Amino acid sequence: MSSAKGGSKDLLEEVINAGLCTGCGACVTGCPYIVVRGGRIIVLDRCTIAAGDCYRHCPRTRTDMNLVSDRVFGVPFSSDETGHALTIAMARSADKRISDRAQDGGTVTALLAFALAEGMIDAVVCTKMDEDKAPHGFIAHSRDELLQCAGASYEAGFALEAFRKIPAGSADRLAAVGVGCQLESLAKMKADPPVNGGNPARLQLTVGLFCGWSLRSGYFRPILRGICDPARIVKFDIPHSPHTSFDAYTQEGRKSVPLDEIRAAINPACQYCWDMTAEFSDISVGSAGSKFPGWNTIVIRTEKGAELVGRARDAGIVESEPLPEWRLSQLKTAALNRKKAAFKKIAEKSGDSHDLLHIAGLAEGFADRLLEG
Amino acid sequence: MAGIATDNPGAVVLLVGNEAVARGAIEAGIGVAAAYPGSPTSEILPTIAGVAGERDIHVEWSANEKVATEVAAAASLAGIRSLAVMKQNGLNIAADFIVNLNMTGSGEGGMVIFVADDPGGMTSSNEQDSRMVAKWIDNPLLEAENAQEAKEMLKWAYELSEKLKLPVFLRGVTRLCYTRGNVTLGELPPRSRKKAYFPAIWDMYNPTKSKFTAGPSPVAHRDLHEKLEVARGVFEESPFNHYSGPDNPELLIIASGVCTSYSAEALKVLNIEERVGLLKLGTVWPLPEKLVAKWLSSTGKVLFVEETDPFIEQSVMELAADRLPEMGGIVFYGKRSGHLAPCNEQSTDLVMAALTDILGLPPQFRDSDYQKSAEEAMKLVPNRPINMCAGCPHRATFWAVKNAIALDGRKGFVCGDIGCYSMSFAAPGFYQARTMHAMGSGTGLANGFGNMQRFGFDQPVLAVSGDSTFYHAVLPALVSGVYNKANFTLLILDNSATAMTGFQPHPGTGLLATGEMAPVVDMEGLCRAVGAEVRVCDPFVLGEATRTIVEMMQNESGPRVIIMRHMCQLLKAKRKISDKYRVQVDRERCLGDSCGCDRLCTRIFGCPGLMWDSGAKKAAIDEALCVGCGLCSDICPAGAIKKEEVN
Repeated sequence: MSSAKGGSKDLLEEVINAGLCTGCGACVTGCPYIVVRGGRIIVLDRCTIAAGDCYRHCPRTRTDMNLVSDRVFGVPFSSDETGHALTIAMARSADKRISDRAQDGGTVTALLAFALAEGMIDAVVCTKMDEDKAPHGFIAHSRDELLQCAGASYEAGFALEAFRKIPAGSADRLAAVGVGCQLESLAKMKADPPVNGGNPARLQLTVGLFCGWSLRSGYFRPILRGICDPARIVKFDIPHSPHTSFDAYTQEGRKSVPLDEIRAAINPACQYCWDMTAEFSDISVGSAGSKFPGWNTIVIRTEKGAELVGRARDAGIVESEPLPEWRLSQLKTAALNRKKAAFKKIAEKSGDSHDLLHIAGLAEGFADRLLEG
Repeated sequence: MAGIATDNPGAVVLLVGNEAVARGAIEAGIGVAAAYPGSPTSEILPTIAGVAGERDIHVEWSANEKVATEVAAAASLAGIRSLAVMKQNGLNIAADFIVNLNMTGSGEGGMVIFVADDPGGMTSSNEQDSRMVAKWIDNPLLEAENAQEAKEMLKWAYELSEKLKLPVFLRGVTRLCYTRGNVTLGELPPRSRKKAYFPAIWDMYNPTKSKFTAGPSPVAHRDLHEKLEVARGVFEESPFNHYSGPDNPELLIIASGVCTSYSAEALKVLNIEERVGLLKLGTVWPLPEKLVAKWLSSTGKVLFVEETDPFIEQSVMELAADRLPEMGGIVFYGKRSGHLAPCNEQSTDLVMAALTDILGLPPQFRDSDYQKSAEEAMKLVPNRPINMCAGCPHRATFWAVKNAIALDGRKGFVCGDIGCYSMSFAAPGFYQARTMHAMGSGTGLANGFGNMQRFGFDQPVLAVSGDSTFYHAVLPALVSGVYNKANFTLLILDNSATAMTGFQPHPGTGLLATGEMAPVVDMEGLCRAVGAEVRVCDPFVLGEATRTIVEMMQNESGPRVIIMRHMCQLLKAKRKISDKYRVQVDRERCLGDSCGCDRLCTRIFGCPGLMWDSGAKKAAIDEALCVGCGLCSDICPAGAIKKEEVN
């Protein structure tokens, strides 16, 4: 068993009401009692299951990191700042139609569209923004549907809720795109399959998205509505330099909000997140930084990930370049700082440096190194 | 009963109390009967309505009890005998009129108000002793012991009313209304009656003659007290008061109504009829003091046995205090002494317990195996929690309400009201109603909650109302809410009937009490006309209903109204409107009590048409109860409940 046992009441008390819920949407996956609304998890009715999937697969309940890592990668949880990785490089879509709609280089959309076209997968569990630019879990079956999902949302998308939208008994080979907490939940499902919430074995490929934090809808939406009609928004961005504003590009032009104002809407639960680069993935993708506009950083973690990137490159779908040492070093520093900050916050919350709440099963001394200094 | 108006004097028939009241009214030759449905009285008006044509009686379901009483009073003023029927709560609504009618008096036609209390609150939101109202407003009140007496008393009450020019109360209780007994039929009056005429034509030479306006109060009140003294004199000689027992009993029981039977049975079982006397009072207010004083002076101990409050007990103790020098010390037992409780129903067993305690007898049961038989009988009664019927549209509504409140997330709540949907305070309505008081009070409370924003109150407020309740008492609250810009959402649960009391028609149904066609009072139009935003939803379209409720909750303005329209399933069954679906459980797909379901359909949704097969650990359909509404198929998380259209 990689996870602790509990039911929806425990989930409410220990995670949701305790301010730890990241909004990944895993608990919603196979449950008639738990739903998402307005950026919140809501428990509709009392469930009496003492050991439920909702609690077991939550990235904020006790997770045996080594065990989960072993099931996903065949090795213990990596002490590397950016997690278990085969290669770290830069990449971008070779297709301008994709990269024009994408947040940075369009690598994620290009790779998944290629995987769909090649018949490697049948559908992608991802996040799509509605006409008000609010994110929702979505199942994309085609390149066109994938393109509708391109671009970053800064709210928790509860993307995993989309699992419930896949008809029961459907034999789709799936890919999933998500941020760290979402992929950690999927990894927990693989390590310890759900009772009824679908079959994680059909999950063929996971693509991680680098994530710094997400915004709480209840706080973010009023700010957004204050500057524009969300339905007119084309794209969000936080420019790297100067790193002081949050921009919404609308059909009428750019609308900016001071970044500090946006920071007030950050989900406090994100302080307890150690995972900037979505470590439980086959491939993780993020921005390549201000020096490389239109490019992504790509972390290839598994053979399966490497094969997809290799085939896509050979087919001329994506282009790649080595990642400069200084940029890699910058990335690792950022990821390490994230880990240190999170471990510190978690130890503060538990009041015991040996009790890291959801993070468990690490090798002796692993946490101490992060908690020191 | 078939042929409640059978013209066969002397025939003995088995009648339930409510039918006996109806028969009594018919024998008394009433021309007008008006009521609002309320258990335990709901069957009286329909029984009369069944012979309304035959006996030429105007029978109506009024919008509420106050209107019903006013309708009956008008008939009386025009010289026509009339009957108003209501349960205890209804009397409270009618009281405002009655406390003025007592001042003007009723007319040439006798007027009787039959009011039934519900000791134990079996079908009521409250428990109250309506006899207090008679004392409060100085009107005479009678209490019947059984069906036969109810019929006879009713006829007698008309004569009394015509003598005094006052309405007369006849008080019943649930046990009287719903107990069958042999009733000897009396003669029926001729079908034709005198012309109705209201005599208060202005006489220019004598302008105060024949006026029926309340006041000047001190004079009217004095006259009223004089009438009451006349009533007291009549009561002293009334055939409905009766004593049985020794001349100087060791203990005197003073009982009224059904408690007389309990007392007589208790004395018989304990075999103390030679020691204890029983004075039965049929004329309860004003107290026939001479009669009571006579029997008080025959004993040193008195036990009062009556339903609910110590009404006779206090009146008699008042009398005894007044006559202390001549009567000497009497020990009183009853509710004040704690021998009987001033709440819940009385019974033979309770009276026996009081008697054995007072007389120092060993505790005794009704017969040697009574206790054992009672326990055996209890085993035969399945433990059934309260529930709404299979396929009840209220279940769908409250499912949508529950989810809408949770999705909205601002700790919204429901102000409940009176009807089948009152059950929403418990599991059948998913515990959604957090308040429940009188008819229309849910909307009244919502008015108050909806205007407390200045105190930081930010919870969404919902009120529910049935269709019949809407016309009864919700409309003024809605008008007030629009006027005062109260922020709430009213859900009118329109199931096309006054369902809880037995599908009586109401102003929105297009039918009269007699079954004839009537104009439909357009609920939707009414709400729009008073200025509320109105939506109409079918609660069985769950997703849309939930979205509509959320939307209306979040539309912060004056009152919003959602009419949740779906016909009561029982009414559908009565009208042979069959639902469309054959519902079955695919056992392969049913997740049962495992994660991902945890018996959502049988444990939370709780339609009685669903069963939990504890052996197979799967849900099943109870073919006998399922009405085929198909709603469970929409809530099953596994798609295991299949609905298939049938024609």
